[in-house]
Amino acid sequence: MSETILEVINLKKHFPIRGGILLRQVAAIHAVDGVSFNVQQEETLGLVGESGCGKTTLGRTILRLVKADAGTVRYNGRDLFKLDKREMQKIRLEMAMIFQDPYSSLNPRMTMSDIIGEPFDIHRLAKGQEKKNRIRELVEKVGLAPFHIYRYPHEFSGGQKQRIGIARALAGNPKLLVADEPVSSLDVSVRAQILNLLKDLQEELGLTYLYISHDLSTVKHMSDRVAVMYVGKLVELAPSKIIYKDPLHPYTEALMSAIPVPGRKKREKQIILKGSVPTPIDPPPGCRFNPRCSYRQPICAKEDPEFIEVSEEHFVSCHLRK
Amino acid sequence: MSESTLITINDLKTYFFITEGVVKAVDGVNLDINKGEALGLVGESGCGKSTVALSIMRLIRPPGKIVGGEIWFEGEDLLRKGESEMRQIRGGRISLISQNPMSSMNPVFTVGGQIAEAIKLHQNVQRREIKGKVAEILDLVGIPDPSKRMEDYPHEYSGGMCQRAMTAMALSCNPQLLIADEPTTNLDVTIQAQILKLMKKLRKDFGASVLLIGHDLGVISELCDKIAVMYAGRVAEYSDLMTVFEKPKHPYTQALLESIPRLDVEEERLRIIPGTVPRLINPPPGCRFHPRCEQAMTVCSKQDPVLTEIEKGHKVACFLYDSNVRTKPQV
Repeated sequence: MSETILEVINLKKHFPIRGGILLRQVAAIHAVDGVSFNVQQEETLGLVGESGCGKTTLGRTILRLVKADAGTVRYNGRDLFKLDKREMQKIRLEMAMIFQDPYSSLNPRMTMSDIIGEPFDIHRLAKGQEKKNRIRELVEKVGLAPFHIYRYPHEFSGGQKQRIGIARALAGNPKLLVADEPVSSLDVSVRAQILNLLKDLQEELGLTYLYISHDLSTVKHMSDRVAVMYVGKLVELAPSKIIYKDPLHPYTEALMSAIPVPGRKKREKQIILKGSVPTPIDPPPGCRFNPRCSYRQPICAKEDPEFIEVSEEHFVSCHLRK
Repeated sequence: MSESTLITINDLKTYFFITEGVVKAVDGVNLDINKGEALGLVGESGCGKSTVALSIMRLIRPPGKIVGGEIWFEGEDLLRKGESEMRQIRGGRISLISQNPMSSMNPVFTVGGQIAEAIKLHQNVQRREIKGKVAEILDLVGIPDPSKRMEDYPHEYSGGMCQRAMTAMALSCNPQLLIADEPTTNLDVTIQAQILKLMKKLRKDFGASVLLIGHDLGVISELCDKIAVMYAGRVAEYSDLMTVFEKPKHPYTQALLESIPRLDVEEERLRIIPGTVPRLINPPPGCRFHPRCEQAMTVCSKQDPVLTEIEKGHKVACFLYDSNVRTKPQV
């Protein structure tokens, strides 16, 4: 295995809910509640989970776009939460984010060249002719036409906008890219173009991806390893070849069996979960999946299972797998 | 039209007249659905699939207009019906489950009240029996504690529950045709599995025909018997479900199937369809797919291909399968 680029240790983020006249904190949304994992250099780690499970918050907390409440994030061995503003800004060059919705993540009043060139100004990387050349390079790298650079976002299609978003993310020569549902708002035929582009860029530039999505089929296509999240916690983490074939956590098992496969009418076995995802405000005690789990034991409602390595490279948090 | 056909759409044209020009959202669509059958209508966004659904329901609002064609439903042309006759059919014999359950419910009325309204309009039910009937139908779609939850407002329901309630409302009058427009798009996979299971069960119990609209081929595979692939306002291919997956004929269908990441197939790279979906204000002449098609011939940019049967039950609109114009060997 190659070197670890990102280390996340027991990360927590709770959003307070205020109420009453004094706006005292009455409750908290446990969006990320003790998550630990590593990302290796030049790999793609897929992060899947249903809506509201905290996957987007996890991505943002890692990049310090929202402040974590507890835990540590180490990037190449340096603790990100202990860096001061200036050091952080320097390291931000190496980490970038691709956003979910290309329609709202681009400023409608800026031209494509302004959008892609902004990181050069902020980090004082290049100006004048050099900046122009760098922008042109990036534009070509993501497969856009250079004569479009003075156009505004509304003049581009969804797929082109996402390419602009990717070009902007690449401006600072990043090592780590957090891609938060980069293709979910795109059409099927355009989706393939962006997925292929991301793969090509990874190979060419040696990028590491944290690929966040709820779409299990694209995650399988993109990722080397996959982490499954449920109500603020990781329930399973394994190489994607293994996790799709032999999931160990009952939630992963149900999730995998719920994916409709094109051209397959009958399912061998399907687990239909009862009820819906619990709210992260007041998650169930013990294992958070226990109210919906069909293998539930008495211990599951009492004790929180630990996230442990049960076989090589395969982590799971379930009392049944100890 | 055979005995068992429930609905036949002939050359349907629905255009939108906007300041920039005429958007030909649906431009000559032909489809049939047999009794008890489920047809999946797939295509990318903007290909006109939802417009087909709204045209059947006659719910096209200005600037849109149905400019031509026929929709035969049990021997009657829906396009020649008066507004009051249509109101009898909508929600009664044909009902629609729309894409976004949260915004299709009226937020200021209770869920039960809204379902009761549909029943009152279309069925001869005694006033005091209505509540019982609503609870019964909510129970059928798996809403826990239905007689209590029917007093709730839509915002008190989760997304999956709202979709169930919408399904309940659509089924409350035993429709002969159920149109579901992307019924699971906004739901999580585990909730989607619940809704699909429910729809399968209801289809069996009620024997209704279903028109399922969607872009997710997985969802369509699970529920449908037949499939129609739409591209830029027209039907490109129509056949049995498995035929499309096993031997797709239209180049668009072939490319579409290869461009989605599959769980059951390992592939390093996905197939790309170059370019984007054309704008329907000024669609390309001839076959609308020809600018993106790898097998385009000269005839493709000049003439419109007609949806023709090439094998029993398998129709394709492509010149590659037309023996009169074929100039190069079939690929």
